[in-house]
Amino acid sequence: MGKLFKTNFSTAVIVLIPACIGINYIGKLFAQLLKLPLWLDCIGTCIGAILGGPIIGGICGAANNLIYGFTTGDNITLVYALTSLFIGISVGIMARLGFMESFPKAMLTACVGGLAAVVVSTPLNIMYWGGQTGNVWGDAVFAATQAAGLPVWIGSLLDELVVDVPDKLITGIIVYLIVSKLPQKLTTLYDANAVIESLD
Amino acid sequence: MSLIEIKNLKYRYPGAERLSLNDITMNIEKGQFIGIVGENGAGKSTLSQAFLGLIPQFYKGAYGGSVTIDGLSAKTTPVGVLCRKVGLVFQNPFNQLSGAKDTVYDEVGYGLQNLGIPAEEIHKRVESVLRRFGIWEYRKRNPFDLSGGQLQRVAIASVLAMNPEILILDEPTSQLDPAGSEEVFQAVDELTATGITIVMIEHKLEKLAEYCDKIALMHQGEVVAFDTPNMIFSRKDISELGVNVPAYTAFALKYGLRNQDGTYPATRRDLLKIIKADNADIRSLLKSCRNDLPDAQRNNPVKAIVGSETFSLSDLHFSYIEGAEIFKGINIGFDRRPTAIIGQNGAGKTTLVRIMKGLLKPGSGSVKLAGEDISKKTVAELASRVGYVFQNPDDQIFKYNVLDEVMFGPLNIGMSHEEAESHAHEALQTVGLEELCRKNPYDLELYDRKMVAIASVLAMDTDVIILDEPTIAQDYKGREKIKEIIRNESGKGKLVIAILHDMDFVADSFERVIAMAHGEILLDGTPHEVFRNREVLEKAALAPPHIVGLMEELEHEID
Amino acid sequence: MKSISLYTDNGSWIVRLHPFSKLFYLIAAILIPLISGHLWMFAVTVLASISFLMSSHMLRKAVPLIAFSFTIILTIFIIQGIFFKDNTSVLLTLGPLSFYKEGLLYSSRIGLNILNMLLSFSILVLTTSPSELVEELEKKGFSPKFGYIINSVFQIVPEMMGTMHTISDAQRSRGMETEGKLVTRMKAFIPLISPVVMSALTSSRERAIALEVRGFGANVKKTYLYSHPYTKQDQMMKWGSLTSLAAVIVLRVLHVL
Repeated sequence: MGKLFKTNFSTAVIVLIPACIGINYIGKLFAQLLKLPLWLDCIGTCIGAILGGPIIGGICGAANNLIYGFTTGDNITLVYALTSLFIGISVGIMARLGFMESFPKAMLTACVGGLAAVVVSTPLNIMYWGGQTGNVWGDAVFAATQAAGLPVWIGSLLDELVVDVPDKLITGIIVYLIVSKLPQKLTTLYDANAVIESLD
Repeated sequence: MSLIEIKNLKYRYPGAERLSLNDITMNIEKGQFIGIVGENGAGKSTLSQAFLGLIPQFYKGAYGGSVTIDGLSAKTTPVGVLCRKVGLVFQNPFNQLSGAKDTVYDEVGYGLQNLGIPAEEIHKRVESVLRRFGIWEYRKRNPFDLSGGQLQRVAIASVLAMNPEILILDEPTSQLDPAGSEEVFQAVDELTATGITIVMIEHKLEKLAEYCDKIALMHQGEVVAFDTPNMIFSRKDISELGVNVPAYTAFALKYGLRNQDGTYPATRRDLLKIIKADNADIRSLLKSCRNDLPDAQRNNPVKAIVGSETFSLSDLHFSYIEGAEIFKGINIGFDRRPTAIIGQNGAGKTTLVRIMKGLLKPGSGSVKLAGEDISKKTVAELASRVGYVFQNPDDQIFKYNVLDEVMFGPLNIGMSHEEAESHAHEALQTVGLEELCRKNPYDLELYDRKMVAIASVLAMDTDVIILDEPTIAQDYKGREKIKEIIRNESGKGKLVIAILHDMDFVADSFERVIAMAHGEILLDGTPHEVFRNREVLEKAALAPPHIVGLMEELEHEID
Repeated sequence: MKSISLYTDNGSWIVRLHPFSKLFYLIAAILIPLISGHLWMFAVTVLASISFLMSSHMLRKAVPLIAFSFTIILTIFIIQGIFFKDNTSVLLTLGPLSFYKEGLLYSSRIGLNILNMLLSFSILVLTTSPSELVEELEKKGFSPKFGYIINSVFQIVPEMMGTMHTISDAQRSRGMETEGKLVTRMKAFIPLISPVVMSALTSSRERAIALEVRGFGANVKKTYLYSHPYTKQDQMMKWGSLTSLAAVIVLRVLHVL
């Protein structure tokens, strides 16, 4: 267990975190620019989690929302730091378990990340928004479940599922494509187990 | 005991196969100014980072031998401790900012805060160092808003505020415009007077030769020689080792002007001394010198179809922010001669070529390409006709092998797969990367990635090729390669336009030079016409190529 | 450089307050109505926040921060007004749709809570420099490394946004389309985001070196250049917030509220 969460807190890793948060932000902006029906706002969190492990992933995710609260002035984003935290942790754990080594495995990691998002977000949605997500398609699903007399949590869960899982799957594909080709000279910097070999 | 002692230093990067530093032994004494030269990939930056213990502590990898700084082992002493003794300034001005402070003043104080120095002392040191490097007036500005030259001075100030005994300068001017470089060199001038030990990596050899007590010549991870500038640059094998010589040494070599010890002079001062002492016939020297004044038109005539107009810009107006016009009516036409655009940052060079590429839309006026108005066309529509190589290759590379990267553009503009592939191979051949076509571009070094970016535009086989600062990060060989590319493409009847800061390079490879300042075209002529025009150069704040400067001094001597 | 922080220094009294005073207010303003359990208490805190914003000439800036929530609050009113599980008493009927009192009350609670949170938070965000907040937190024992992460995001993101335009220009120059069918636009995403990631990683490596050189890893207690005095106004804001919060808790426990 200890090994799974082993974390290197070197300067390189600390500096990686703001870079990942920046990547999240730019990912979201590009998605808007291209008018994609997706958020794509946790690419950086996933990269941080894969390079630095679950703890770093969690920090990337949580810090991401906490800081963006300050740029949008909305403290509801802050609450969803919890969701991002768990996305980061779960992706980090999956990566450490070797689930980023091939494309199908990476898809599984993406699903786990997506499910983590759903599980954590749903209670938050119920608490703050009465169960809605603010996404048109998701909220239509929610309205339908409520009209059918289903409990709020089922409606909210479905609302979130419709919104989050496709987004996280696409995010997973993108992250896999990028991370699998990073040069070793760069990835070793973040490796918690890297040692200096002796040539003497 | 020497201040810096390096013994049998070996180092290999993680994942690399070959040693980046191979059995280096050298000593540096307190107060010396040491230069490091060598081709790209020779291990210069790696060596410089070994002084601070970044090699191996930061990069990990495999390490052997020892580096001792004032008695401390660089292998085991934490960088946080060594940084009190050794300061480092490197190429990219922006990435050297801590990124944590929003004023220049706080930025310079940041390192001192980390070292736990009391606030009053920090205020004192920051003020003195800011004043010393002439950046006191910017103290309240956000560092990210400064120019490259100002930023490099901030970086030097930030490091010097920590009172190191040794300062490492790793190509601090390679990404700056001429004015920015000058600012940095002035700061270095100032430093040499203080007796601080300096190790400097620099491609501007004329400057380096002026400063250095000794130069280490590196090749493939080894220090081949460690000697005075005159000795180093007089070596017969120097160009085989991928290193150019200072313009003055080349001049001396050509006219057989030697020092008493048989070496060739490396600095302008020494060269002039020999010329005067020898009572050499300055007039005949000048005459032959004028004859071979770098003038591309004479040296390497390119069979360009002069007069066949490509671009024609008339009464061009442009502004980024309404009310602040950058171009107030530019009129210029381009034929097919290779053309260099020179001027300081902010002169409007990049804005001009971006308008020609369709990336920016002119406020008014017309931009015609082969007679057709293109100011309304989209960038993608123009892609097949005008190629543009951006300054930073990392802004475009995204494929995982070089060949795919180079084929991206050709495929986008509608070439068939076979066609794109053959164009890509041809382009890679041109830039000398054919054997690396299956490599992951991210595994290549910056200078090779720049070549990949150039190839990816060449492969699109456009009529016009615009290069934005192609020589940055290139060493002697790389620059020779780019010269060849420019000549080749012009020879095929294409218009090559390049934005450049390196005047010696411009004088050598272009037939037409456009000097710009403050959004205006100051002069448009042959290199000869432009570089011999003092008034224009002064207005554009540019220094002429070294050889022109030398000629002027000789002329002055006769008068 | 375009800042992504919403903070502007307009010299007003709230800007000059110590960051912690504003934090105390934020906590009190959010908790008081929730603890009291009364709908009218939201009105009290909302009005307090609005008057603070007005007195510091920041209200106009706060409006866009809050406006985004209006559409979602509206849909909450519609969905819950019609479908809320405890809906029994019809309040009004529009054609085939009936809105119920219970659902609408429930929606008002959600809506007011959101409004209250956004308003009180906007006071902090609009009037506090993030770097000052971080510095004060660090002085109280917050890790300087985490402090660095927060500060540098505010510096690095605008820088990255600049790169973003260059990358988009570079790829369009090579004939990539960014408009048109969904597939075309989807395809454009990788060529845009990959260079962002790579340049972010390479520049973060260089920045890490720059930080190492500046003693970031030194195991020494950091010193600070500035100090922010705690004024009388700060005391008033701090104790005003804390006592109101305590009072509400006491009254609630005593079942007065």
